[in-house]
Amino acid sequence: MSPGQTSLAFRENTVLALKDPALRAAMRQATDTFGTKRADAFAPVAGLEALRDRASAIREDVLSNLPMYVERFVASATRAGAVVHRANDAATAREIIRKILAGRGARRIVKGKSMVSEEVDLNSRLEAAGMEVVETDLGEYIIQMEGETPSHIIVPAIHKNRRQVGRLFADRLGVPFSDDPQVLTKIARKALREKFLSADAGISGANFAAADTGSLVLFTNEGNGRMVTTVPPLHVAILSIEKMIPSLTDLPAFIRLLPRSATGQPITSYVSVLTGPRKAGDATGAKELHIVLLDNGRTEILAGESRDILKCIRCGACMNVCPVYRAVGGHAYGWTYPGPMGIVLTTLLTGMKESHPLVDASTLCGACVDVCPVRVPLVDLILGLRRRKVREGFAHPAERRGMEAFGKVAASPALFGLGQRLAGAFWPVVRALGGKDVAGRMPAPAKTPLRRRLP
Amino acid sequence: MSGANRGRLFLENAAKAAAGTHSVSDTGELLSALGRVVAIDSPVYCPGVTALEKAVASIFPVRAADYTSAAVTVEEVFGAIAETGTLVCSSEGGRAVQAGLLPAHHVAIVRRDRIFDTLDDFFAAVCGAPPTNLTLVTGPSRTADIELTLAIGVHGPERLDIILV
Repeated sequence: MSPGQTSLAFRENTVLALKDPALRAAMRQATDTFGTKRADAFAPVAGLEALRDRASAIREDVLSNLPMYVERFVASATRAGAVVHRANDAATAREIIRKILAGRGARRIVKGKSMVSEEVDLNSRLEAAGMEVVETDLGEYIIQMEGETPSHIIVPAIHKNRRQVGRLFADRLGVPFSDDPQVLTKIARKALREKFLSADAGISGANFAAADTGSLVLFTNEGNGRMVTTVPPLHVAILSIEKMIPSLTDLPAFIRLLPRSATGQPITSYVSVLTGPRKAGDATGAKELHIVLLDNGRTEILAGESRDILKCIRCGACMNVCPVYRAVGGHAYGWTYPGPMGIVLTTLLTGMKESHPLVDASTLCGACVDVCPVRVPLVDLILGLRRRKVREGFAHPAERRGMEAFGKVAASPALFGLGQRLAGAFWPVVRALGGKDVAGRMPAPAKTPLRRRLP
Repeated sequence: MSGANRGRLFLENAAKAAAGTHSVSDTGELLSALGRVVAIDSPVYCPGVTALEKAVASIFPVRAADYTSAAVTVEEVFGAIAETGTLVCSSEGGRAVQAGLLPAHHVAIVRRDRIFDTLDDFFAAVCGAPPTNLTLVTGPSRTADIELTLAIGVHGPERLDIILV
């Protein structure tokens, strides 16, 4: 996304995206691969539906008792030696983190992938304070170098092909051009290793937070998340409050579902369970651990009709199967979270006024609901937001009048029949005026409508 | 699950995640397995704390003083999980979990009696009072961030060998 693009420009963004052959090829290749990998990963899993039910029930319990679980987490994380901060909004979270870092003279920051940190736009605030913030997840490293934002919540540089990455590394790092992902990965390993070892602080997100032990849980593959959370003397974790799970004993269900849904792996290379900072006698862990719990609208969402979106565990499966996302990619959505879950979260978090074109970015085909590991009813949520859009006056007046008129016509067999005859009669005119585009894409009205062919 | 099946399933699943797997029955076999797995001229970090580590530490000609300067870490880990072919590294007892992260080659020694059948068994055992750091390790470090093409060895080890004793 180039700076300045917003969710309000969704329609314009899609037009540009559809004209970008490199983007479309990258998206098609990536989302097809995701689909195959996910299906292969789940094929040998017995009792998948029961597993989804269990994970869904855990998330449902967390939402129904969220304040209690958050309080419990705060108490147990504090007992384990972490300093827990509560941030009501993005600006507060940014300021808390800036103060923690500045107070300890931290200048060089290494960062693991965190969508919540993208949501609050953390990096720009820290950079404005004179800090060097290096994204260390390979995908994030690539897009940070390019000055872009993530276009997928799991694979941030999904929109880029290997040649684009090779040229970027050659330009910025002064290395010989290569389009071999293995070679490019080694280049990043070398460049980032020194950053890890010399960093003053690490910033990470968290996939889950276990309320009863105050543990943070991170699912990672590259090892950068482990570096960020154990090598520098200071670790700051930022997560939104709905990431709670009651206990570590609830984790197996999510280990079985999240990596399979996200990347088609039976488990990620690393699952880190971090409980407090380094203690007496320990040789592992940051000396100081700060946990920033972000609300940023979650409590309000929880009280409303779209609360079920907070069950989401950020696997990205819904975007990989979404016909709209697959065609236009993540940047068109104009904010942090793309795809079906992104339509809902963006509208709720940034407000209908800032995002109403997004609620149309779905065919309501339900592919997202079929793959969601925790049974978030995405289609119902999107329909609910469409109703809200109309209610709050953001629907185009012409669209509204058109739908009202159609409603009247469709409710009357006589009017509907007249409409069908008119459509047939005017079809040659429409085709002549609309040209090849219309004739090629729009099916001609049937000579005898279906309802008159049925007994 | 019987002990033998548990061990077999663990190694099978670890191999699927691209770990090198070896099964030995005594210290003598462990030493010869290490001789095959670890390059002779590599600087090796071995904590030399557990009984098995003490038994093997002296065979490496080049010893690294700590894990940041080592090419290989050889260590006994906390345990393993058969269901997923996963190693468990723990900070309990003053262990440096990052010793198995920084060097390019991680050689993990696992005692057969330390294998849990399932993820549920493992988390039920540790959920009461987890140590500062528990890391589940399944295969070497990897990424698919460029065109979803698998590349092994990003920031963590590019090679993981497991020796079951």
